[in-house]
Amino acid sequence: MRYRRIGLIVYATILVCCFCGLVIAFFSYQEPTRELGAIYLSRAPSETGAANIVSAIYLNYRLYDTLFEILIFSVAVLGVRFYLSDYREIVEKIPESQIVRTSADLFFPPIFLIGIYLTLSGHLSPGGGFSGGVVAGTALLLCAVALGANTVGKRFHEPVLRWLEWGVLLVVLSLPLLPIVVGRLPFTELLPPGTMGKVISGGSIPIYNLLIGIKVFIGTWVIIHYFMRHRGEV
Amino acid sequence: MLMIAGVIVSVILFGIGLLGMIFRRDLIIKLLSLGLVNGSVMLCLVSLGSRANGIAPIIRGPENAGYVNPLPQALVLSAIVINFAILALALVFVMLLVEHYHSTDSQRIEHEIKREREL
Amino acid sequence: MIVLLVLLSLLPVLAAFALSRRRRFTAIVGMGLFSLILSAVYLLLHAPDVAVTEAAINAALITFIYIIAIRKTGRLVVVSDEIPGLLHREGEQISGLEQEILSGFARQLGLELVIRFLPVEQIPRALQQGEADIGAGGIISEIDDSRVLKTQGYLPTALYYLSRQTKPHLKQEESAITGFFSDLREEFQAGKTQACTLDLARFVALSRSDLSPYTVRRLDGLFSYIFLIAPARERLHHQFVSYLGKLEEGGELEKLTRRYFS
Repeated sequence: MRYRRIGLIVYATILVCCFCGLVIAFFSYQEPTRELGAIYLSRAPSETGAANIVSAIYLNYRLYDTLFEILIFSVAVLGVRFYLSDYREIVEKIPESQIVRTSADLFFPPIFLIGIYLTLSGHLSPGGGFSGGVVAGTALLLCAVALGANTVGKRFHEPVLRWLEWGVLLVVLSLPLLPIVVGRLPFTELLPPGTMGKVISGGSIPIYNLLIGIKVFIGTWVIIHYFMRHRGEV
Repeated sequence: MLMIAGVIVSVILFGIGLLGMIFRRDLIIKLLSLGLVNGSVMLCLVSLGSRANGIAPIIRGPENAGYVNPLPQALVLSAIVINFAILALALVFVMLLVEHYHSTDSQRIEHEIKREREL
Repeated sequence: MIVLLVLLSLLPVLAAFALSRRRRFTAIVGMGLFSLILSAVYLLLHAPDVAVTEAAINAALITFIYIIAIRKTGRLVVVSDEIPGLLHREGEQISGLEQEILSGFARQLGLELVIRFLPVEQIPRALQQGEADIGAGGIISEIDDSRVLKTQGYLPTALYYLSRQTKPHLKQEESAITGFFSDLREEFQAGKTQACTLDLARFVALSRSDLSPYTVRRLDGLFSYIFLIAPARERLHHQFVSYLGKLEEGGELEKLTRRYFS
């Protein structure tokens, strides 16, 4: 047994040293990324019209990777829904806590509003679809902790939720192909960049932010709902 | 300077996460260590893109230089979301495993699986 | 700059602390705190987008999902009579030798321990009907019931036969214990009991009151306390037997016995 431990420590040390070497190598070959970053910084404001350069990168220049990222998220939600789909009725009475209930009443609107704000102003200030959707999902999480996941889940009409989720995914995946109709290459911008700093600017980046926000919000709610349903209420 | 500090800390975190994954037998702690390894790589990327006296890559006024490299931040954003997706699904599997074998000990679960296979 | 270096040096310490904890809950909360500090570090490294996304996803959502995932999956229902020393109520809590054994077992299985009090003769029926998983409360190994599964003896005991001096010819079989032990104790203090067979724990509990009108005779044979398991839970039986064996090997059982029965 001791030899096994020593062997494991040696293996771990070798792995860590390899990672160190990789990082040092990457560190010394840092120039290309710095140039590329500088190119994006100089060209993004005029071409895309978005003030948030990071948004402009992952929703305009590198949109292809973001589409697959959304797909991975959707598949994860699908997996959670599939594997936790057998529902045993565990009827447990939730102890009604006044503090949690009051704070949920108090905090749900601001948190949800912050989530919507983060989603819609992704091209102007830090935020974007992913963080905005997750923050809005966290607001629903607060409600679910206070009232019970099943109670909140009954408020949503399940088929509408499912149609919305997959419909948004379909729209997001086919939106870059829309320019073919107009006669241009896919993944080109159709909308004009506009003046930087206005809410309606940045080409089609706000549209993507909104769609991703809706998708991530519904996905987060589904994950929370199925986890709480499977394991019993908090 | 900040870059080097960030990289060194991220390597240390990677080592801690790796050791946690190998030496702790509890499945939940193994998953937490996986998340830690993910976080360490993301910290390395972001700190490689930063610079001294930098500004966040959001353009407010007229063009002034000194922006931090925005490219690693875009990569890390995707990495965070994918990390969350993987962790959620992995937790589902861990939950189902634990419910079936009534233990979160990975060696115990392997032992039980081997015994079931022999029967 | 200094703040950033301080936070950066705090990160590995916190991570090592969190991942070395025995309790899973402490590890999860530690990693949630780690994500929060990591998000602050991202902010100080001039990456606000990454910071807010990391805070929202890792610190809030992932921590919550982990806490949901480690919740106890179910309950371990134990039916027992209230015996001082083995399983008794102390105000709001329940304590005793058997309670310690059972709570350690429940913690190992990740279940919540629920104890219900029943008279001792109703325990086998409750187990057979599936209302409970384990029967406890000073059950003797000689109990003859094929409906339930028995564990090995965890504590040797002795049986005493008490009878009133005026009626020494009462048959032993008629003196089996029925009803709650507290009722028996009241009857005993009132002096109404004619004869009964008691094990060591009950005898010790009853010997506080006046025993002079009774003759005490110790029965021959080796007896020990056991637990009963419901017949449908064979795997639970197997796990409990191995758990009891491990307790005995490690010497924990002796420590606990000395704490309650010194």
